[in-house]
Amino acid sequence: MSLTRENIVVAVGAVVAIVLQVVVSPNVAIFSAQPNFLLAYVLAVAIANPLGAGPVLPFVLGLLADLLGTGPVGGMALLFVLVSFVASRAFAVLDNDTLFMPLAILVAASFAVETLYGALLIALGLPVGPVDAFFYRALPCALYDCVAGLVLYPLVARLVADGTQDRRPRAPRLR
Amino acid sequence: MALNFQQRGSALVRRVLFGVLLVASLAMTAVYAREGDDGALHRAQAAVSGAAAPLKLVGATASSGAQSAGEALGDLAADADTLSELRAYNEQLVEQYAQMEEYRQENERLRQLVDLKDTYGIEGVGARVIGNPAGAWDQTVTIDKGSDDGVDAGLTVMGTSGVIGQVVAADARTATVRLLTDPKSGAAALVQSSRAQGVVRGSLEGLLYLEDLEADAEVAEGDLVVTSGLGGSYTRGLVIGTVVKVDAKQGESSRRAVVSPNESASALEEVLVVFSALEADGDDGENANGAEGGDAE
Repeated sequence: MSLTRENIVVAVGAVVAIVLQVVVSPNVAIFSAQPNFLLAYVLAVAIANPLGAGPVLPFVLGLLADLLGTGPVGGMALLFVLVSFVASRAFAVLDNDTLFMPLAILVAASFAVETLYGALLIALGLPVGPVDAFFYRALPCALYDCVAGLVLYPLVARLVADGTQDRRPRAPRLR
Repeated sequence: MALNFQQRGSALVRRVLFGVLLVASLAMTAVYAREGDDGALHRAQAAVSGAAAPLKLVGATASSGAQSAGEALGDLAADADTLSELRAYNEQLVEQYAQMEEYRQENERLRQLVDLKDTYGIEGVGARVIGNPAGAWDQTVTIDKGSDDGVDAGLTVMGTSGVIGQVVAADARTATVRLLTDPKSGAAALVQSSRAQGVVRGSLEGLLYLEDLEADAEVAEGDLVVTSGLGGSYTRGLVIGTVVKVDAKQGESSRRAVVSPNESASALEEVLVVFSALEADGDDGENANGAEGGDAE
């Protein structure tokens, strides 16, 4: 990995996301639902730079999310890598130069990660029902992740994509 | 052409990397699920959690400060007329009051812990909660005592009104406590009045359930639930909570009761890690904690 401006910005952003996750996230919980700043950042980078974002950042931040919690190590890393890849490819194909598409992909990806993580925990022996897992954790956490993502995406798009993503209001463009 | 080649090469490297990292993630998940609490990944998790403890403390302190400031601002707004006469002393008094209130509350909590320690004849160490749950799927807190102070995995942890959880990982200076409200928790328990035995389990909605009770077990709202010590995972005879609701479904071989938890994670500030306790149920023998945790994992 070369030391380009983009890589430095992404690395600094990752450090900020880690600090937010450790310091802020546990203290802004609403009914046990916490925002996952690491996921929001990974998705924001994957969508802001769909052709440049690789799997290393999602893997490292996912692994860190696993190591900071008490869940299975590798679970979040797996989902971060998978979903960020799918999100970046979906964005590359579906982008219509409006703000709707990145946000829709961000929301869908957040729901996918939280739901799949709940399914993984149940598969590994968490003694709760899938409905409880979805309604008590996956759904509220995904909504919280979306809020974090909606704040982070414009910042990341501005810094990482360096203004190449112009998303002023206009009619959608078909590709 | 060269540029195309470079892009293809880069795409190839990225795909290979993607595959390698996916396999690595899957392999780690499989190893983690199979290895014991002493496994390399579990130890790495405990180490990272310990290393992040100072940052967690910063967050918890800032959160507490913000809460106090919010309360102080609320007080100021409510008493604006009165305070206008005392404008010269206002800032100083508010600051002193907030500090004294903090000391008073801390003193009250510590007094309750000391009372609890005397009541149960507990040998243990007091600790401060320095980190709230690290993730939405965890109901764990970080405390500022670790293996240097004798804290080890499997020890029972008490709040000001009874058992709140169990140590699941400890490094030299910090330890992770899994709260009873975590779905992975499980404590052998009994209803104090009828001696009906069951298992108290946490849930995602934050409630405690006393499960596996016999169908004819006598359980009523208001009954006290205490640890039974079966399996050696929790010290015997410590209060878990009070029955607030009994599920009485006909035709089932076992019943379930909802137990009010002692404290929520956000309210925890000081706790007591129990090394051993005189049994509160009449026996005088010491009952040490088992080494293994009572997790339902």
